[in-house]
Amino acid sequence: MKSFLQYLGIEPERYQLAWISGSEGQKFADIMTHVVDEIKKVGPNRKLREEHE
Amino acid sequence: MSDNTAKAREIAKKLLQDGTVAMVLGWEKGSEPYVSAPTVVRDAADVDRLVVDEYCIHDLAALLPDYRDHSDKIAIFAKGCDSRGIVRLIQDRVITRDRLYIIGINCPGMKDPNEFIRAASGLSKAKPADKAAKCLHCQYPNPVIYDEILGEAQKPGADQRLTEVDKIESMSADERYDFFIKEFSRCIRCYACRNACVACNCRTCIFDETKPQWVGRSTDPVNNLLYQIVRAMHVAGRCIECGECERACPVGIPLMLLNRKLIKDVDQLFGPYQAGLSLEDEAIPPLSRYRVDDPDEFM
Ligand code: SF4
Ligand code: SF4
Ligand code: SF4
Repeated sequence: MKSFLQYLGIEPERYQLAWISGSEGQKFADIMTHVVDEIKKVGPNRKLREEHE
Repeated sequence: MSDNTAKAREIAKKLLQDGTVAMVLGWEKGSEPYVSAPTVVRDAADVDRLVVDEYCIHDLAALLPDYRDHSDKIAIFAKGCDSRGIVRLIQDRVITRDRLYIIGINCPGMKDPNEFIRAASGLSKAKPADKAAKCLHCQYPNPVIYDEILGEAQKPGADQRLTEVDKIESMSADERYDFFIKEFSRCIRCYACRNACVACNCRTCIFDETKPQWVGRSTDPVNNLLYQIVRAMHVAGRCIECGECERACPVGIPLMLLNRKLIKDVDQLFGPYQAGLSLEDEAIPPLSRYRVDDPDEFM
């Protein structure tokens, strides 16, 4: 999926997948921070968005 | 009348007369000389409708899901691509092997009636090709599964299926996105690509659902592309590369660029693998089975 979205020109940072168990609170927090950091790096998204006036 | 047509009629007649099958799925001449349309023959007296010529391009296997709830035995003509479709349908439990009598056709490549129709209508200046685009790339012209076979075995052409995919991959991310969005802005959401597809065999299609509505139905470029992303992912690992979706598309969107990318990825991650080549256990599509050592990368 990631490779496919990349093929369509979507930045891979925007699509991330991780397995987190219900008891892994710290891991969840770490991964969320990581995802947000990565997305901030690539900046605002213009792709695959519906344009609304 | 060609040799294959005569033989096809003879076989169909015998199968219907002795009660081996209740119906035969084949092709008959359509409204124009360059159209051979799919047809059903149930009566031995009607077998003279059947033809096997260079315009029998439709994948008959895509019709089999219509009969999934019947119990009739069916005889079906199958070129290389159709036969891979049949294998996939058996693997998806849409139909059982014992309900089918498969008459294989070693396929020299077909002409695309759509090209002739466009040329005749004056809408296109392009001269119809001697071989349809999908046949130029065909690696399995000889049926992989059959009970009886017509014609001489054929040699597949050079394998250039992925050249176009590689070309796209060498573009930058923005160029790729702009390219695809432009192509998909032409989509009219006719769903011909889905209906022609042998791998699209769900009883209720996600795109027909309205509660929830998974993908917007308006024909704007983004929803069109989303539709195709979902469709391509749904047939990933099961697409037999018959090229019927792209051929059915009335606005000429290069759908095989999506399918072949996924074929390439599945082959590299789980392969070597190509869909619908055999009924053996090992040939079950990698995305339809559970394995402890799954590379997990596909997500
Ligand atoms: S894709 Fe292959 S088997 Fe199918 S019609 Fe073309 S040449 Fe024949
Ligand atoms: S996605 Fe296209 S090429 Fe693949 S099986 Fe369906 S119709 Fe054939
Ligand atoms: S066949 Fe072409 S126009 Fe019709 S829904 Fe599919 S991609 Fe869109």
